[in-house]
Amino acid sequence: MTLKTLLCAATALTLSAGFAQAQDKTLTISAYAFAQDEFSEILYKPFEEKCGCKVVVETGNSVERLAKLEANKDNPVIDMAVMSTADAMAASRNGLIDTVDTSKLTNFDKLYDVAKDPNGDGMSVGYTFYATSIVYRTDKMKIDSWADLLKDDIAPHIAFPNITTNQGAPALYMLGKALGSDNPDLQVPIDAVSKKAGDIVTFYVKSSQLVQLMQQEEIWAAPIGRFSWAPFTKLDLPLAWATPKEGQTGGMNVMVVTKGSKNRDLALEFMDYWLSTEVQTKLATALVDSPANSEVKVSDEVANNITYGAETAKSLTLLPASVSLDNRDAWLAEWNAKVGQ
Amino acid sequence: MFQNRTEALALALPAAVFAAVVFLVPVALLLSEGFKTADGWTIQAYIDFFSMPLNQAVFLRTLKLGLTVTLAAAVIGYAAAYAIVTLPASSKGKMIGLVVLPLMISPVARTYAWIVILGRTGIINQALSAVGLTDGPVRILFTETAVFIGLLQLFLPLMIISLISALENLPRDAVPAARVLGANWFQVFWKVILPLSREGLIVGGTLVFTGSLTAYITPAILGGSKVLMLETLLYQQVTVANNFVSASIIALILIAMSFAANILLRRIASARSAK
Repeated sequence: MTLKTLLCAATALTLSAGFAQAQDKTLTISAYAFAQDEFSEILYKPFEEKCGCKVVVETGNSVERLAKLEANKDNPVIDMAVMSTADAMAASRNGLIDTVDTSKLTNFDKLYDVAKDPNGDGMSVGYTFYATSIVYRTDKMKIDSWADLLKDDIAPHIAFPNITTNQGAPALYMLGKALGSDNPDLQVPIDAVSKKAGDIVTFYVKSSQLVQLMQQEEIWAAPIGRFSWAPFTKLDLPLAWATPKEGQTGGMNVMVVTKGSKNRDLALEFMDYWLSTEVQTKLATALVDSPANSEVKVSDEVANNITYGAETAKSLTLLPASVSLDNRDAWLAEWNAKVGQ
Repeated sequence: MFQNRTEALALALPAAVFAAVVFLVPVALLLSEGFKTADGWTIQAYIDFFSMPLNQAVFLRTLKLGLTVTLAAAVIGYAAAYAIVTLPASSKGKMIGLVVLPLMISPVARTYAWIVILGRTGIINQALSAVGLTDGPVRILFTETAVFIGLLQLFLPLMIISLISALENLPRDAVPAARVLGANWFQVFWKVILPLSREGLIVGGTLVFTGSLTAYITPAILGGSKVLMLETLLYQQVTVANNFVSASIIALILIAMSFAANILLRRIASARSAK
C-alpha cells in the first residue's frame, strides 16, 4: 500500500467517524407500512430537522412487528411503535412496553378523552381513530340496522370483512348487537353469517379490493373503515355511509414506548410532535389519519372523508382491546369452523 | 469430460454450498418446527392438524383443484401441442410465441383481468344471458370455478411448451403408420403418442400441479377466503394467527404433494411405455 492510499483511507475513516457521530442521535420507530411517503413528508423529515436526529422507520404488518419487538426484548432496537389497541395490550402483557410519561407530552390535554388512555393501563396514547360502518347503494337498498346486511335480498350483494381483518370483529360485534346479543364471544353473529355464507359474495381481506367490486356491481354494500371511504366517493354511483340504529363501531391506533429503550426522551418528543395540532391537521388534510387532537380544524370536504369531531369520537361503540385480545384465537377458530369452509 | 472427479466436484461446490446455505438449511429448520415440542420430537402436531375439519376440507380442495387443473391442462395441452408441431416451421414459431405471451404478463395483472371477465357484468355473464342460457347473472367470481379457470390459464402454457418439446421428437411417420395399421384416434394417442411423449407430460404435469398447489395470488384474488387453499391458509396462519407450527406443517404437505405428483406421473408414464 502506498503512502497516498494509506492517507486516503485514513481520511475516509476520520470522515465517516465524524459522520457517524453527527447521526448518533437516532430514533427508531416501528409503524404500519401504510402512507409512508406522506408520513415522511409531514412527520419524519420536519422532526429530523427539529431534533437534529435521524428517524429510522421499520414497517411491516402488526404480527411481524410484534414478533420483532419480542425477539429484541432484552436489547430493544425500536424506541417507539404504533399499533392497534389490542396489539398494544398484547405488548403490555408480554412486558414489551412501558408506561407513557404523559407529563412530557405538551399536546396530551388536547386529545379527545377516548384517546388519552384507551386501554386504561397508562401504556398507550391514541393518535388516530376511525369509524366503521356500511357503505351501500342507495338505489338498491336502505340500511337502518347492521342486521339488514343479512336480509335475503341484500346478503347476495354484500362483501363482509373477514375475521382476520381489523374490521371483522367490530362488524360482527355490531351485527350481534343488532341480533340481540352483546356477548363478546361473537357466537350469535358468526352463526348468523355462516347461515348466509353461501349467499354473501365474498369475505374480503383487503378493503382496496372493494372499490372495484362496487364499480363492477359485484357488490352493493360492505362494512368498511372510514379511511377506505374516499375512493368510493369518486365512483359514479349513488353511495351512502350508513348510520345504523345500533351505532357505528371502529378502532383506534395508539403509540407505545418500548421497555428498556435508550432514547425515551427523544421518543416522547417525537410522539408529542406527532400529536401536535400542526402535524395532526396536515395528516388529516392529506386524508392519511383522522385526528385524535381535538383542536384540529379541517374543511367540510376533508371532514366528510375522515372520522372527525368530538361527537363522532364519543358516539363510536369500540370493542375493548382486552376483549379482542382474549377472544382473537377463539373467534378465528369459530369463524374457520363455521364460515371458512 | 473431466480428467478426474475432484475437478468436477470443485466446480460444483460453490453452487452446492449456495443451495445448502440459502435453501436446504432454512427449509430443514422450517420443517423441523412441525415435529418439535418441549418434550422432544413427535408427529402430534400433524395429527392435530388433520383432525380439524377446516384443514381437511382445505387439503381436499387443494388436491382436487390441483388434479383437475393438471388433467384439464394435459387434455387441452396435448391437443394444442399436437396442432402446433404439425404446423409449418414459420407459423409454429408464431404460435409458440402466442403460447408464451401470457407468461410475460404479471400474474397479478392477469388475475385482476379475470375479475372483470368473470364478474356479474363481465363478458361471460353478458354472453350467457345474451344467448338466453341464464335469466340473471351467474356467480362465478369467488367460487372454485373461478380459481380453476384462473389457475388453468396461468399454467396451461407450461404444459403446452413441455408437450411441444416432447412431441417434436415424435417420429413423423409414427401416427400415420398407426392409422394405416387400423388404430383409431384414441388408440393412436394411448399406444403411440402418450408413451413417446411421456417425459413432456411428466415435466408439464409436475409444473402445473406444483404451480397450482403453491399459487397464492390467483386463489387469494379469485377465490378469496370463501375458497381457502393450503397456500392461502398458510398465509393466514402466519400473518394472523402467528402459528408457525401450522404453517410449517402446510409447507411440508405442499412439498410432499409435489413429490408425490412427480412420482405418480412417472409411474403412469413408465407403466404405459412398459406395455
